[in-house]
Amino acid sequence: MSEDRSRILNMLAEGKITAEEAERLLDALDSRASATPAGPAIKGDPGPLIEALPKYLYVKVEAANGDNVDVKIPIALVRSGLKLTSLIPPQAMDQINDSMSEHGMSIDFSNLKPEDIDELVEALREMEINVDSTDGDKVRVYCA
Amino acid sequence: MSVIPPAVLDLRIAPPDRRPIHLWLPLFLLWPLALALGILALVLTILVDAVLLVAGQRYHHYTVLLVRSFGALCQTRGMVLRFNDDKTTVDMTVQ
Repeated sequence: MSEDRSRILNMLAEGKITAEEAERLLDALDSRASATPAGPAIKGDPGPLIEALPKYLYVKVEAANGDNVDVKIPIALVRSGLKLTSLIPPQAMDQINDSMSEHGMSIDFSNLKPEDIDELVEALREMEINVDSTDGDKVRVYCA
Repeated sequence: MSVIPPAVLDLRIAPPDRRPIHLWLPLFLLWPLALALGILALVLTILVDAVLLVAGQRYHHYTVLLVRSFGALCQTRGMVLRFNDDKTTVDMTVQ
């Protein structure tokens, strides 16, 4: 089974897409495979594929004391934000990197290239983080 | 990619023992002002970038930074923030 096919079936199993959407995606995959056996280009209407992609990043925090935070962020905003980092003036970027490393996040944003960002955002669509702490706090991060 | 900035901010606050507050903030009324300021900023950044380029500075991307920042602002449409404790609920939607 191809990676794309199993991904679609997983999305269906997780309830992220309906059976009808899964069928359309599989059809689109089949038509792509038969039209271009070795090429990466998508033949036909890519609309259903694009429509089925997750569009939002959800962050849900449920604290044991009853405080809840629920954030829905468009993935396009994440992409735009990350792409902005490559345009931040070097002096400001140094300050950001220093400040982040002081807080335990040693990420050098100046090394992020546009192609890396696209790959990162695509990977983000499949990311799912579930944290259940012993004191009852729950954190969920996922795309849908 | 949408190039329409946020038009409405929908804010709901439900404090304890009081009637919920529902604010519908028409951000689109600020668009003309934002457009005027944006054009001014664009002219300024183009001038700054030209000066930096002539001066041989490596970084001269303030215009692109401004345009991309506007793009990021446009992508905030659809963002939802919801906070609640056992007393108060705050719900903010950018449309």
